[in-house]
Amino acid sequence: MSARDNILARIRQNRPAASALPDMHAVPFIRYDNQFEAFATLIRNLGGDAVQLQDGQSVSDVVAARWPDAGRTIDLTVAQHEEVDDPHAWHDVDLAIVPGQLAVAENATVWVSHPDNRFRSIYFLTQKLVLVVPRDAMVDTMRDAYARIRLAEHGFGAFISGSSRTADIEQSLVMGAHGAMAALVIFV
Amino acid sequence: MKDDSVKHPQATAEFLKDRAQAKWHDSAIWWVRQKRDAQAKQLPEWEELRRLAREIKAHTLSQLDDYLAQFEANAQKNGVTVHWAADADEHNRIVHGILAAKQVKKLVKSKSMLTEECGLNPYLEQHGIEVVDTDLGERIVQLRHEAPSHIVMPAIHLKKEQISELFHKELGTEAGNNDPTYLTHAARANLREHFLTADAGLTGVNFAIAETGGVVVCTNEGNADLGTSLPPIHIASMGLEKIIPKLEHLGVFTRLLARSAIGSPVTTYTSHFHQARPGGEMHIVIVDNGRSDILGNEDFYQSLRCIRCGACMNTCPVYRRSSGFSYSYIIPGPIGSTLGPSRDMKKHGSMAFACSTCGSCSNVCPVKINLHEQLVLHRKKAFEQNLLPAGKKMGLLAMRFLTQHPALFDLGGKVMRKVVPIIPESLTRHSAWSRAGRDVPPMPAQSFKELYQQRSQNKKDKEGQQ
Repeated sequence: MSARDNILARIRQNRPAASALPDMHAVPFIRYDNQFEAFATLIRNLGGDAVQLQDGQSVSDVVAARWPDAGRTIDLTVAQHEEVDDPHAWHDVDLAIVPGQLAVAENATVWVSHPDNRFRSIYFLTQKLVLVVPRDAMVDTMRDAYARIRLAEHGFGAFISGSSRTADIEQSLVMGAHGAMAALVIFV
Repeated sequence: MKDDSVKHPQATAEFLKDRAQAKWHDSAIWWVRQKRDAQAKQLPEWEELRRLAREIKAHTLSQLDDYLAQFEANAQKNGVTVHWAADADEHNRIVHGILAAKQVKKLVKSKSMLTEECGLNPYLEQHGIEVVDTDLGERIVQLRHEAPSHIVMPAIHLKKEQISELFHKELGTEAGNNDPTYLTHAARANLREHFLTADAGLTGVNFAIAETGGVVVCTNEGNADLGTSLPPIHIASMGLEKIIPKLEHLGVFTRLLARSAIGSPVTTYTSHFHQARPGGEMHIVIVDNGRSDILGNEDFYQSLRCIRCGACMNTCPVYRRSSGFSYSYIIPGPIGSTLGPSRDMKKHGSMAFACSTCGSCSNVCPVKINLHEQLVLHRKKAFEQNLLPAGKKMGLLAMRFLTQHPALFDLGGKVMRKVVPIIPESLTRHSAWSRAGRDVPPMPAQSFKELYQQRSQNKKDKEGQQ
């Protein structure tokens, strides 16, 4: 027998007593009166920031005001964005503007899975990550989020909250571990 | 690799010699426990979440073979190659085979306790492959040729001065610069080079979804994402208990994991991998290595519900005061102290005694494993298999005899209450149990039993008067 068949046979033989799957939708989960407020308060502790676009303002206005000296900038929210044929080619991107499909109030994450993006490496190589999310695409908790997300990008998708971080040296929180050093979520 | 010959009491005595470091270790980890509590209190449904997580995992284990087969079929539909490994050696051979077929010279790894369990790094290095651990804590312990001392915070046993010295030697950072931000960013620059030049990436797996055939990896640093989005090969190694039935079940587990582990509402990245990046290939290695045996053991199979958050070690009064290196099994703390003895009682039996049976681990466990009860059952097995040191065994036998003979027990207590106060202090001060601030407590005049009887009598007298 193959390793596979051996393992499955042993598991079948050792099965614990039957146990029913619970109804995870029967339990009430937390609700937020002001989802944006909850999201924005949280993300400020996670190395990020969140703003709502004001009338007459554009995403590039907000980005330019915040980072006037940004280096190589790639904007995946526009249809005609630069394409590369190797994921390493994004290594010197300073600022990436990326569409996010959904935001979650309870933990300040944004779901990113973009059908028109080829190499996901851009999300993690960029020094500054800007996520652009429709303002009505906000849910309270991860349970609601999983009911709505789609894996649209070569089988990949990620919830991203703020900037990359670590506390591996004496529990001191440091922003900018391997991924983005700064993150901004713009609700449009 | 971890020294698996250590015995907990002796190793702990060694650790406790540096009182200042031990105190720091205790309070640093307790702080994480407090952050966990703060997060839990913000969710009115916290206890319900734990119940759901427990029940979803219990259900999955009861049909694990079906869910694994479903997972495999769906992963294959996505174009992923699925491998099965009966034990650690087979896992290492499979991983090496995938890498050798593509002439891989450098592998970047994100955190995986499974590959620590299998001893993958030394195996690959023997075969001429450079392995770079990329989680900052893992990288630190790799450069020190150590094992992680905690499953979530691998370098929690080190002070920043030690890390600064290490980085000065290995990465050329400024001597004496102990600033965590400076040191972290120096490691970032160094590891970026490794990410960009690696030929393959290996990750662990937090959750494997039967319904979609994909795996979820959670990190704060983004190292799993860089390690899989750049090189053309992604290998994900998973223990076979990582399965959950449906995508929607992540709506329970992702709410519990980071809150329990680090007291944070979520990890920075919760990444779902179902295919390689364009032009690449993805492999999943499903590993048994003793798990299917534990599944068949009524007393211990619940330990397979574990999601490796580490909350049990953060709360454990023994772990905090003994550090991960006092435990012989690669996973320390309460969960390691049941998994280790389940795997090899002879080697890891001492771990089951590294427990005060306070039950705090069971109370914080997000999947409600009966951890402290399992440790007691392992002690019983260790006793039955005659694996206790002679002194401990004699003590237990004496205690058993005493508790079975109440009159003798009472007499023993009486004698002790009379004798202990007249023992000269110089004798008790230097006993094995004692150190400054831990003198023998004053003896009470009466035993608990006597007090209880007196209280009952008083109550009766009072009732008689009414």
